[in-house]
Amino acid sequence: MQLSPAFGWLLKRLPSLLSPFILIGVWELVAQTHLFAANILIPPQQVFRTFLDLLADGELIDNIKASGARVLSGFAIGAGAGLIAGMAMGLYPALERYFGLLFTVIRQVPFIAWAPLLIVAFGIGETFKIIIIANAAFFPVALSTLDGVRNVPRHLKDVAALFRFDRLALMRSLVLPAALPSILTGVRLALSRSWMIVVAAELFAASSGIGHMMDWGRQMFQIDVVMVGVVVTGVVGFILDQMLRQVEAHFSSWKLPSR
Amino acid sequence: MAVSKIVQLPTANRARETHEPPSIAVARRHHATELVVRNVSKSFNIDRRPLPVLQDISLVAQPGQFITIVGASGCGKSTLLRLIAGLDRDFEGEILFGGRPVSGPSLDRGLVFQDHRLFPWLTIEQNIASAFSSRPIDTATKRLLVKDHIALVGLNGFEKAYPHQVSGGMAQRAAIARALVNEPDILLLDEPLGAVDALTRLYLQEELQRIWLQKGVTMIMVTHDIEEAVFLGDQVIVLQPRPGRISKVIDVGLTQPRDREDSRILKLKKEILGEFHNPAPINYSI
Repeated sequence: MQLSPAFGWLLKRLPSLLSPFILIGVWELVAQTHLFAANILIPPQQVFRTFLDLLADGELIDNIKASGARVLSGFAIGAGAGLIAGMAMGLYPALERYFGLLFTVIRQVPFIAWAPLLIVAFGIGETFKIIIIANAAFFPVALSTLDGVRNVPRHLKDVAALFRFDRLALMRSLVLPAALPSILTGVRLALSRSWMIVVAAELFAASSGIGHMMDWGRQMFQIDVVMVGVVVTGVVGFILDQMLRQVEAHFSSWKLPSR
Repeated sequence: MAVSKIVQLPTANRARETHEPPSIAVARRHHATELVVRNVSKSFNIDRRPLPVLQDISLVAQPGQFITIVGASGCGKSTLLRLIAGLDRDFEGEILFGGRPVSGPSLDRGLVFQDHRLFPWLTIEQNIASAFSSRPIDTATKRLLVKDHIALVGLNGFEKAYPHQVSGGMAQRAAIARALVNEPDILLLDEPLGAVDALTRLYLQEELQRIWLQKGVTMIMVTHDIEEAVFLGDQVIVLQPRPGRISKVIDVGLTQPRDREDSRILKLKKEILGEFHNPAPINYSI
């Protein structure tokens, strides 16, 4: 008996693929009981048809692109600032003593809670959305960078001291590679949060994007469009997460056997 | 008697000396490599109470000498090496290298730890080259020095391997190469063979001896293995624990390399073993 590699791949992932199909099956069954009105609980096939329609007329792709562009700029600003802040606090503990409290308090505020304030300050344009995404991306990266820099193994710091590493060598040969796995975990977290927050912010105020598409669908009472938005948001978030997991695994391969 | 097949790398040696003519530099270098440890004591604070770890340690290492320090765990052996290396400056007494007090780490004093402490994200070759970080020498010289030291420790063919891809013994060889690549005057070895298996250990002892004879570097090696201490040392220093203090200094007085089964070696082993039975040995004869 010979199994093709593709079949083996499928077999290994069968358990994780099973649960979405069960969900769709239950959804279909409940829809067929007509317990809920057909325009409220849309059956799966109709959502799929709407998905194909939105895909065909380019609306879905345009909206994904609009949301993606916001995520990209907000995430770049937030993650970049987080990296710098985390590095600075990790390398200069005095900075953490001064800013640590403020940092922790601000971190407790849910990201979306900034929306009303930011709308008052910046209006409902792009600036507001990019700032709120940047804010969501900042904290995971800053925290994981701080953690990574602070936990550089002491026994390797001895080696750096022994060979009198200068600042550049210390960063390049020790601190950055030691902190990289932790930083990448933060980056992955920040990216999925950025994607969540962009959809949420677009529900508030936007004229394009996945969130806007969903809000528009709700106002037009086209719940199928809203459902497409929910599924697409989940799938795109999943793909982003998986991509960064690959990057993380690649850069952490040396990490396995070390202490 | 030294197998002087030392690869001469004049540029590398000159890079460290300043503006002296080579002859004076060589003379000064030879003169300047004596290590003197005088009345050194050290305590750690545990629960705000001082816990003495080293008490009144004195020793002198002449250039090119191989000193072994043997003692049970907890006798402060590693601490002593950290003090000599300059990694820990909080102690009483005096440590002089080449007549000057040790005030911090220096490339003149190399240290090999019990665990190899290679950077896991660098290859063997890159790890060895990382020792050059604070020296402004050109790439060609660096490459030559790395190549020579990889050959010295017998790691040819493993240049591009990562530490986790090689055995513990090989990683330790790489660590020895990294410590030697700056051509230090003195090499401190903190139980470097403590973590390798027994057979590799015997082999690496002979390798270490060969490297010592080949490089003419002063070595101070800490170990808990009495046979290792007697087999390798010109001088064996016996430490007693809590707090670590010198109980005996033995000049071995045999040429190297040696035969492990030499009756004089066996006799010294027995003598040192006796040091660790603190009360007078129990007489079993009836």
